[in-house]
Amino acid sequence: MAEQEQSGGIAEHLQYWSYKFDDSNPFMQIHLDTMILTLMIALGLICFAAWLRGKLVEGAPTGVQNFMESVIDFINQTVKDNFPVHNPMIAPLAMTIFIFILLCNSLDILPSYLMHHIAGSVGLETFRQVPTNDLNLPVAMALSVFILVLYYEFKLKPVHFMKELLLQPFAALLLDSKNPLVKVLGVILIPLNLTLKLVEEFAKPLSLSFRLFGNMFAGEVIFLLIASLLLTNSINDLASAGGIVTEVAGILVGLGWSLFHMFIGLLQAFIFMILTVVYLSIAHQPVEH
Amino acid sequence: MSIDLTFIAQIVIFILMVRVLWKLLYAPLNDAMEARNQKIEKGLAAAEAGVEAKAKAESLIAAQLAEAKTKALEIISAAEKRAVEVNEEAINKSRREAEQILDSAREEVLSELEHARQSLRQEIAGIAMLAAEKVIEAELDATRHAKMIESIVHEGLGAA
Repeated sequence: MAEQEQSGGIAEHLQYWSYKFDDSNPFMQIHLDTMILTLMIALGLICFAAWLRGKLVEGAPTGVQNFMESVIDFINQTVKDNFPVHNPMIAPLAMTIFIFILLCNSLDILPSYLMHHIAGSVGLETFRQVPTNDLNLPVAMALSVFILVLYYEFKLKPVHFMKELLLQPFAALLLDSKNPLVKVLGVILIPLNLTLKLVEEFAKPLSLSFRLFGNMFAGEVIFLLIASLLLTNSINDLASAGGIVTEVAGILVGLGWSLFHMFIGLLQAFIFMILTVVYLSIAHQPVEH
Repeated sequence: MSIDLTFIAQIVIFILMVRVLWKLLYAPLNDAMEARNQKIEKGLAAAEAGVEAKAKAESLIAAQLAEAKTKALEIISAAEKRAVEVNEEAINKSRREAEQILDSAREEVLSELEHARQSLRQEIAGIAMLAAEKVIEAELDATRHAKMIESIVHEGLGAA
C-alpha cells in the first residue's frame, strides 16, 4: 500500500502542466511548464547577450566577458578540430545548443518536490522544472540538427548522398560486378539498402534526443526516489533518533546526487553539442574518389 | 511523455534562439576576440620586426664603429706623420733662418770692422800727421809728404 502511494507520488511529480486543445488527440496539447521555462531561458539569454554586447571591451576582457570568451573559444576550438571546412553557422549553432541545454539541465539543481510545492501553492497541480526532461525539447533540437545535416548532405554532395542512400552497403554488386545477374541482384537490393540507410540516418536524431532525455529523466526519477524513500517517509518521525538520521542521510544523499546530476547535465550538453558538430562535419566531408 | 505541439513550438524557439544568439552573442564576442588576436599578432610581428631591426642596427653600428676605428687610426697615423713632417720643416726652417741671421751678422761685423779700420786708419793718419807736423812742423810740407805718410801708416796697419 505504502509502495503504491510512493509510486503514485513519483508519477504525480512526473506529470506536465499542460493545456489541451483537443482531448481526443494527444498531439493537440502543449506543455506549459516546458514552454514557460524555455521561453524564460531564451529571453534571459537574449537579454544577457544584449547586455553583454553593450559592455564589450576591445582590450583585456574581465569578468563575464572573459568567461563568455572562454566558452566561445572552447566551442570554436571544438568546431575547428572536427570540421573539415569553414561554415560560419556551425559555431553559433554549437554555442546555442551547449548553453541552452546546460541552462535547462541546471534547473535540476532545484529539488523537484520544492518546485512541485511552490507550483501547488499558486494553484497548479503539476509542474516540471527541467525542460530537457520533456521529450519534446530534445527531439525538437535533434530533429532540427538532423534536418540541417540532410540539407548539407543534399546541398554539398547530392549524387554521393543518393548513391549512399540507395546502394550502400551493397554498392559493389551493382557498380563493380560484370555479371548481369549480380547487377540485377544489386538492383533488387536497393530497397534493403534504402531501409538500412534510413535506419542508420534516423538513429542519429533518435540517439541524440533520447540520450539527453533519458539521462535527465533518469536523474530526476532517482532524485524523486531518494526524496520519497529517505525524506518524506521519515518526515513524521523527526522526534525519534532514527527519523533524524534518515532525514539527514536523505539530505546528504539528495545533495550528493544533485551535484552529480549537475555534472551529468554539463556532460550531456557537451555530448549533444559535439555530436551535432560531428554529424554536420560528416555531412561536410568531401567525397573520396 | 508524448510528442505534441510543444515539439513544434520548441523547434521554433530553438531556431529563433540560434539566429538571435548568433547575432547578439556569438558574433560580437567572436569579432572582439578576432580583433584582439589580430592586434596581438600585429604586436608580436612588430616586436619581432623590432628585434630584427635592433639586431640589424647593432650589426650596422658594430660595422660602422669598426670602420670609424680604422679611419681614426688612419687619421691619427697620418696626423702623426704630418706632425713629424711639420716638426722637421720647422726645425729646418729655423736652422736656415739661424744660419741666415748668423751670415748677416757676420757680414755686418765684417763691414763694421772694415768701417772701424777705415776710420781708425784715418784717425791714426790724422794723428800721425798731427804728430809729425808737431815734430817736423817747419820742414815738412803737408801736401808733399801726406801720401808718403799715408802709405807708411797703411803698411803699418796692414802688418798689424
